[in-house]
Amino acid sequence: MSRIIVMTSGKGGVGKTTCTANLGMALAKAGQRVAVVDADFGLRNLDLLLGLENRIVYTALDVLAGECRLDQALVKDKRQPNLALLPAAQNRSKESIKPEQMKRLIKALTKVYNFILIDSPAGIEMGFRNSIAAAREAIIVTTPEISAVRDADRVIGLLEANDIKAVRLVINRLRPAMVAAEQMMSVKDVQGILSIPLLGVIPDDEQVIVSTNKGEPLVLDEKLSKAGIAFTNVSQRLQGEKVPLMDLSIPQDNFFTRLKRLFGVSS
Amino acid sequence: MAPDFSFMQDSQSDSSGTPADGGVNFDNFILEIEPDPETTQEEAAQTKPESNPNLQVQFKSERGRLLLLLPPAPEKSRNPVYWEDLRDQLKRRLSGGERFLQPHTPVHLIARDRLLNSQQIQEIDAMLSDAQLPLKRIYSSRRQSAVAAATAGYSVEQQTTLGHLGQGQEASRQAMDEPLYLQTTLRSGVEVRHRGTVIVLGDANPGSSIVAEGDIFIWGRLRGVVHAGADGNRQCRIMALHMQPTQLRIADQVARSPEDPPAQYQPEVAYIGPDGIRIALAAEFALADLPANLPTQESP
Ligand SMILES: Nc1ncnc2c1ncn2[C@@H]1O[C@H](COP(=O)(O)OP(=O)(O)O)[C@@H](O)[C@H]1O
Ligand SMILES: [Mg+2]
Repeated sequence: MSRIIVMTSGKGGVGKTTCTANLGMALAKAGQRVAVVDADFGLRNLDLLLGLENRIVYTALDVLAGECRLDQALVKDKRQPNLALLPAAQNRSKESIKPEQMKRLIKALTKVYNFILIDSPAGIEMGFRNSIAAAREAIIVTTPEISAVRDADRVIGLLEANDIKAVRLVINRLRPAMVAAEQMMSVKDVQGILSIPLLGVIPDDEQVIVSTNKGEPLVLDEKLSKAGIAFTNVSQRLQGEKVPLMDLSIPQDNFFTRLKRLFGVSS
Repeated sequence: MAPDFSFMQDSQSDSSGTPADGGVNFDNFILEIEPDPETTQEEAAQTKPESNPNLQVQFKSERGRLLLLLPPAPEKSRNPVYWEDLRDQLKRRLSGGERFLQPHTPVHLIARDRLLNSQQIQEIDAMLSDAQLPLKRIYSSRRQSAVAAATAGYSVEQQTTLGHLGQGQEASRQAMDEPLYLQTTLRSGVEVRHRGTVIVLGDANPGSSIVAEGDIFIWGRLRGVVHAGADGNRQCRIMALHMQPTQLRIADQVARSPEDPPAQYQPEVAYIGPDGIRIALAAEFALADLPANLPTQESP
């Protein structure tokens, strides 16, 4: 059975789209057939991060309007043909599509793809409801900030209320030095509030911005950056492999980090 | 002739399920969604849904007055325009073509089958007033809208057919509309659709799109997606001072910009040549290609 996973957060700008692009690409690299679905109608970005903007001919709305078939709207990735993007319409509001229509799109995709990643918009209104309508699993993306974690918590509650039980966490943009200086919430702090299984931790990495501007997900880099490795690890865990959490701690070892590592909880 | 043919050619289906890219490692497939049970029933029951996808807010002058035509009700349209979009479109039309809208021209609002509440009508009125255009009368085929308008103190005419006003769809189907002139920057997310030629005095930014049944002129930088001859007219052209589009479409042809942009931009023209979309320097295009397109020549 295909896995239908929504990437969501509540708060905007925490890295949902970045995660969707990288996870989708990493899964495709691993031989999975992956469809990434941009559910952020009106503020679509996923095509940009994947470098596919200029190849879009039809969008999900055209499919729903009967202007084209679903396969005609899918944009295949040249670099990684296992990956296809279903683009959102840029010129419409989030209200222009209904949950029931989203379900029909996703249902058709399951006939061909075994991973369907849905990039949800920020907020908890119509766009969010559309993006979760067909999902069977969710990945909550949050940054180690009070406000992002608060919103993530709210969203987890909404997902549970919508019968999406398999909810896992990705903590993005962690800065180990700040955590060490107690200026940033640690992985443990975040998990303490959200109490859902951790799928991975992505460090704050300026390579992310470089890759965004190039339209090339990090996981395609020849020599993987730290964030690139972290995304690859997340994709492996998603496929059921046991991959230990990356060691993001800063080199200067003090007694406490060593102690923590001994117990296997270092971030 | 045309110095830059490096635009990559695409047929409409290249970016779809066909393995044109090579290396597709799973079978070519056709994927369709299940039909929407609701609308298929609805469509059958309703009086012919709006079939023209190219309708947006539109001004038309007719015998000393200005007709403001609203797009059809979103429930019945294949290309629905909701209130928020409608408001934005109207704002853009009012500010983008300002110089051509004569102040104090009475405006007749043709609301068609759209549901409008009195607050929305007042909002439209306020926008028109800002452009010094008095709202004279409202035509609607929906009782509720007519009542709302009357309650808000406007003169109303409830009509079941559009009659002579705004021509109806049938009359204007064959002929294109007058060119749409927009003096504005088209930003990301803006889509302009027009049943005729579109002229933009400003930039078309990445993320914006223009769909025109006629030609498209951008007196500025073209960086979004543009579709000329959207109804299938292969003679249509796209001209820009600075041609750097995300994607160009003319009739059924699609082209993308080359990966590495040129060092300098000059005014260029895109048109359909023997092997798809071509780009030519505007200066050279005029000399080399215009004669070939004279109406006396047979068209392909
Ligand atoms: N791990 C990271 N390190 C550095 N910058 C990041 C990281 N993840 C995301 N960003 C940046 O954060 C911004 C928002 O990311 P995006 O994926 O668009 O978020 P969302 O989809 O949740 O709104 C982007 O500018 C992106 O480059
Ligand atoms: Mg996003």
